[in-house]
Amino acid sequence: MRARIMLGATGVGLGLWGLWLLLSVLEPRALFHLPLWLGGAVVADDALLVPLIIVLSVVVTHHIVRTTLLYVGITTLLAIPLLLRQGKGANPTILPRDYLRDWLLLEAIIIATGAAVFLFQRFTFNRSRASSDDIGGR
Amino acid sequence: MKLPAPPTAQSFRSPLHHPRVATVLGRWLGVAVLVCFLTGLFSHFQQESPAWLHIPTRPASLYRVTQGLHVLSGTVAVPLLLAKLWTVYPKLFEKPTLKTLLERLSILVLVSALALELFIGYLNTLQWYPWPFPFKQTHYALGWIIVGALLVHIAVKIPVIQWRKEPLPPATTDLTRRGLFRTVAGAATLVGITSVGQSAPPLGPLAVLAPRKPDVGPQGLPVNRTARDAGIDPLTASWRFTVVGPQQLSYTLDQLRQLPQNHSKLPIACVEGWSQGAHWEGIRIRDLLHLCGAPASSRVRVVSMEKGGFYATSELPPQFAADPLTLLALRLNGSELALDHGFPARIIAPNRPGVLQTKWVHRLEVLA
Repeated sequence: MRARIMLGATGVGLGLWGLWLLLSVLEPRALFHLPLWLGGAVVADDALLVPLIIVLSVVVTHHIVRTTLLYVGITTLLAIPLLLRQGKGANPTILPRDYLRDWLLLEAIIIATGAAVFLFQRFTFNRSRASSDDIGGR
Repeated sequence: MKLPAPPTAQSFRSPLHHPRVATVLGRWLGVAVLVCFLTGLFSHFQQESPAWLHIPTRPASLYRVTQGLHVLSGTVAVPLLLAKLWTVYPKLFEKPTLKTLLERLSILVLVSALALELFIGYLNTLQWYPWPFPFKQTHYALGWIIVGALLVHIAVKIPVIQWRKEPLPPATTDLTRRGLFRTVAGAATLVGITSVGQSAPPLGPLAVLAPRKPDVGPQGLPVNRTARDAGIDPLTASWRFTVVGPQQLSYTLDQLRQLPQNHSKLPIACVEGWSQGAHWEGIRIRDLLHLCGAPASSRVRVVSMEKGGFYATSELPPQFAADPLTLLALRLNGSELALDHGFPARIIAPNRPGVLQTKWVHRLEVLA
């Protein structure tokens, strides 16, 4: 219990140090906006991204299809800023790729891999069923 | 019309919302956060060294590795955070009591700070700043708040973390606990492989989710601040490079080229995570110190022709000035420095962030 209290107290101390850093460097306008952005980050996670994953995992029950869609989702999430800023980099060495092409290519590879695993499992599952005694799966 | 009842904690039936699952994912995310925090702290101390801290000049690629890890662990933390939030999502709908209210507050601090930190950190690697607060200071302060809130969270959860006896409820879908872990590990690996190439050039072609390609730029090296952004004027015949020390030295560019030249193979490693190795040629800083009668281990202020900006001047601590690899570089990868890489002269030193490898240098001042 003592260790827990010490750990918690250290945590509170470090957090307050961070808060003090914020208060000492940020202008009043920034201090006003920061909580809004912090709240926005929570809303984006708890009201948008996680519910999306929950809906997806309820609607799509096949785990290979679900995993494929999750991978498409997470890579797309990271690709969005790159796609939005394509061609708007501060200089030509920032965002030098064709991100639209690369993103489409990446998603195509993820989906193709998912489809290959899906077909492979189906094939081996059918074979194992055919070779076992309980034909018909009963 | 009657609206459906809002969900309660019991609405989520999957056994994968179990604390045992949350504990495992929490450990993974915790490791990513710790790596990200420590490497970030190292980068902060590199740029704002407290007097008591001695930063070594070797390994020469240390900063390249730590900052690459910083951006990599932050990127990989995105799927880990989402997975962790997914497992504990039903808790959001539990009725709060006075006791859990405090705990929830600490979690609110943790989740909001971590989610925003990952978001602004990722956008910073694109040099995109759509928020009304300064990136560097906010990113640093949020780091401390995250670690503090994480320690509080661990302190609160220790009984749950240590409790392993209770069996998991039966599965309701075909996704097992192992299957979930594999899916999450796969997502983290996928995101890592498609972005780490900005710091590890051999994987560059795979880095489709990275804002940089380490070989794209003048002389095969990316640029952060161009000569135009820095307001660099074309060089005139009256340009002189000066050293202010026990003796004053003044050189034309041709005279600089006549001084003994040395080679260094050193990476440029940016705070934004990208890095690339290069061959540099120029005069050792310690040779210049010797010429002006100062000891090799002197603190040196480096002054750029940049107009404004945080990095128009930088300081070389004594151990960096004395290091034989530290150069006033005139050439890069076999040809004269490109204007965007700091023509006519720039600093290149081992184990330093790119922002301190000052470009367009025209004066060195020996401080002590």
